[in-house]
Amino acid sequence: MEQDIELLLDICIEEMHKGKSIEECLAEYSQYASQLEPLLQLVEQIEALPQPAPTPEAISSTLINIGKEIAQLTITSETPVVRRKKRKTISFFNIFQKPKLMWAFNAALILIVVLFSVATISANSVPGDILYPLKLVTEKVKFLLTFDSEKKAELRLTFSDKRLQEMIAVFQQSGKLDTTLLKEMLDEAKLALEGNEIPTDKASIFAAKLSHVNAYQKDVLEKIRPRVNPSSRQIVDEAINMCDMRSRWMRTMMNEENEISPDSSGLDSTGSPQIMPRSKQKSNRRQWGPGCDWMK
Amino acid sequence: MKSVNKDLNDDILLQLLVDVKANDTKAIGKLCDHFLPKVYRFIYYRVKKIEDAEDLTSEVCLRVLQSIHEQKGSFHAWIYRIASNMITDHYRRRAVRSTVKSIGDSIEEIDDHSNTAIELLEQQELRQNLSQLTEEQQQVIVLKFIEGYKTDEIADVIGKSVGAIRAIQFRALTTMRTMFNEEGQRRNEGKN
Repeated sequence: MEQDIELLLDICIEEMHKGKSIEECLAEYSQYASQLEPLLQLVEQIEALPQPAPTPEAISSTLINIGKEIAQLTITSETPVVRRKKRKTISFFNIFQKPKLMWAFNAALILIVVLFSVATISANSVPGDILYPLKLVTEKVKFLLTFDSEKKAELRLTFSDKRLQEMIAVFQQSGKLDTTLLKEMLDEAKLALEGNEIPTDKASIFAAKLSHVNAYQKDVLEKIRPRVNPSSRQIVDEAINMCDMRSRWMRTMMNEENEISPDSSGLDSTGSPQIMPRSKQKSNRRQWGPGCDWMK
Repeated sequence: MKSVNKDLNDDILLQLLVDVKANDTKAIGKLCDHFLPKVYRFIYYRVKKIEDAEDLTSEVCLRVLQSIHEQKGSFHAWIYRIASNMITDHYRRRAVRSTVKSIGDSIEEIDDHSNTAIELLEQQELRQNLSQLTEEQQQVIVLKFIEGYKTDEIADVIGKSVGAIRAIQFRALTTMRTMFNEEGQRRNEGKN
């Protein structure tokens, strides 16, 4: 008798997981309904509870611990080499004879490996993943620690590409277009040019890169467009137009640059520094085309 | 009805494990991303404090990473076994019995602003009632109704027969129902 009810309870739970209601299950086993009903109601109550999630601080702390573990494994596997080097360096550098400095050096090394590991661990996450906020923090830190304006601009382009990859991943997973990621992708590409001063001799190369990035983003968006929900197509169209406009503008800029300075040296044929005509100067301050209403 | 949480199919998981064993940090990230919330939920309903749940989750992740090369068979079963052992050690260390405790005595209030007050109370009550079940009963309830595993999969995790899991499930639900009824009665008496 007890075995029967245990089996029936399990069958009813499985049926409920497949979409049956408690009433439907009870109707099938009316003989045991009075025993099954309170238990099935309890199951429904338990399953309706919100799922607890670890706090972001707990996730970061766990990842740092994992990073430390990876660092320890890496450093342990390299210990013989480190020891050999240490013996050699003792005779040359007094700094390594001081235990405190040696300890600081080791701590810094471990910290670098930990940070690198944490950054790599979160690298493939997408919005909705628990590691995604960490990925964005890592990007911000990386950007803040970059001081060269050209490298900063390059980073912006990398971030723009990452947002595109994430948007594709989210689209493949859910079939929905994440307009926030699309906006961020366009913003990062815009900031790559507007937020950083590129040296004149590298402007042409950078314009070529930007043109390429925008053309690629346009191609990807055109491929996605037919599969996007009709209500989001206007947004995609605006983004495609924007990428196209930016790509064309960059090509124009490259041509202008080549016309003025074929050797990219910044000097004219007489050897005097080139002065850019006022009309060209104005065009260089040009904005990235009109803004999109949905982006505001 | 809560959806089943297993969105990583066996082939992907197998490839992921191969990559993790080869120390691929991106694969470690993916594995953490998938299993960290599951392990946390599994532990959350079985310990008294949220900090303990977070610390133990972190310890389980580290243990998984340290002994991943020794892992054989079902990964789900393996990871939950590690988590279970960690919980047992935790109680052993603290010499605290996971049996009878008075309501509201030791279960920490959940500080989660995303939940409503009623949900928080229900969650707290469930944790309280769960903590009064035996260790096996707790495992079965969490795996079945919080994590969405099937009976045969739970049998694999716990290392018992399907029939034994059904019996544990029945007894656990009956005990919890009795506890909820008693609490309801107490509340009604308090109102009157």
